[in-house]
Amino acid sequence: MERERKLTVAILAMLILVAVIAIVDISFKIEEKHSREIKLTLPDIGAGIGIVRVEGPIELSSRPGPFGMPEGAEAVVKRLDSLEKDSNIRAVVLRINSPGGTVAATQEIYEKIMKLRKKNIPVVASMGDLAASGGYYVAAACNHIVANYGTVTGSIGVIAYSPNLRRLFDKFGIKMNVIKSGKYKDILASHRDMSRDERVLLQELIDSSYGKFVKDVAVGRNMSELDIMKVADGRIMSGITALENKLVDQMGTFEDAIAKARELAGLDEDSPVYEEKTSPFNEFFGTLNSILRGSSLPGSEVLYPVYKLEYRYMR
Amino acid sequence: MKLESFRTLAWADFFLYSMIDPRALYRRIKQKEPDPFWISFIVPASVSLSGILTISLMGRESAFFYYKLSYGWIFVFLYTFLKTVIYASLIDVAAQFSGLKGNIREVISSVNFSMLPELFILPAAYPFIVGDFIPLFFYVLFSLVCFVWHVLILVQAISEMHIIDFGKAFLIYIMPAVFTGIVFILMAVMFFINALGYFSSIM
Repeated sequence: MERERKLTVAILAMLILVAVIAIVDISFKIEEKHSREIKLTLPDIGAGIGIVRVEGPIELSSRPGPFGMPEGAEAVVKRLDSLEKDSNIRAVVLRINSPGGTVAATQEIYEKIMKLRKKNIPVVASMGDLAASGGYYVAAACNHIVANYGTVTGSIGVIAYSPNLRRLFDKFGIKMNVIKSGKYKDILASHRDMSRDERVLLQELIDSSYGKFVKDVAVGRNMSELDIMKVADGRIMSGITALENKLVDQMGTFEDAIAKARELAGLDEDSPVYEEKTSPFNEFFGTLNSILRGSSLPGSEVLYPVYKLEYRYMR
Repeated sequence: MKLESFRTLAWADFFLYSMIDPRALYRRIKQKEPDPFWISFIVPASVSLSGILTISLMGRESAFFYYKLSYGWIFVFLYTFLKTVIYASLIDVAAQFSGLKGNIREVISSVNFSMLPELFILPAAYPFIVGDFIPLFFYVLFSLVCFVWHVLILVQAISEMHIIDFGKAFLIYIMPAVFTGIVFILMAVMFFINALGYFSSIM
């Protein structure tokens, strides 16, 4: 019996040994992979280019993201701010893939980029699939714009919209009880037609934002407002057409934008590129958060109008 | 367990009988020398660790592995612990429904020790992982073999516990699985109907 017990202990010891070997094996593999990654990213020290990504609709987030991280336009501004304070950053490349967004959010990013330019940090815009309306507004703030041939850009203009469900309400016999302090308080209400006065008021608002858009693009592009007005009728255009209209400076890729940023900052060809780092946890919880937020109030915007003026390309 | 008792290696009997004679395992559990209840939890704890290591060996690992090995192991162990306790309770309930005497402590110990074969998946699959010779196939194969072995140990222990034949012991073992299976199917159906209703309402 004693012999069998010892044999059992030996088997158990062998199992423990195998587990230890497995841990050491995996640790070595991680170490090997890590050292390879270090070799690939070793130039990430010293003066270089900072990358900022503007993806999707540009909006100011009403709530912080997971772990209190800023989201939307605030995250872009925060990233630009951190690059501004980083002594290693000599130029910034703004990768834009956005249909635009709300007026205030777009203007916040625009102003931040202009601040960087004033501090002699060149900013180069690299347009992806789409950099229209607010996406172009943001790009216009940059020193140099690089677009792809197939980039959809332009769409300079302002839009506000709300559904008119009056006939639907009538059909179902639904009436809204509205108690308001002034005649414009329920402007953009979906249960009734828009009045003439309301339309005039909104048009003034739109025109004012449009004027600001054109002016800011003219300042950013160093062009006259009249030249901008010629193409500022909301039209979209390809990258090559935008080049012909002087809305962009160069046809090229993201790589070309980085090269241009290096040139503007007087950096070496192999100077490091500092990408935005996001942890897998943040990405996972960020996605989860967006899904939950997206599904929390389905269709609520139809009944309760959201007062949004947007520099946005509507697809 | 005192040091003297540890030195006698009497505790090793539980592991030995799990492998060679499950009926003797139950008789040894009943003797309670030493008390097998807490010792038996060594098995699910080790199985959790071994499972994490086997799957990690097959994948591309990052530094996240160390989190898996620490927090992940605690999490998987807690899950296995809960699973064991719930399944053992269901087996005990099934036995009592069949007019047999209930004994939850001994059932939990038996369930825990019956997991011992799962510890052999790692050493068995390791050569195939190192040699990169269809490791996933062998992992699944060894997992299935070890699962069948686990079932055999547990059913024989139940058979010895209640002095019933193998067939009836197997029925007592399988009843909770059938019950939970039906519950999960119904839950899935309800979840599907709810999801369908929800999505059709927002579309």
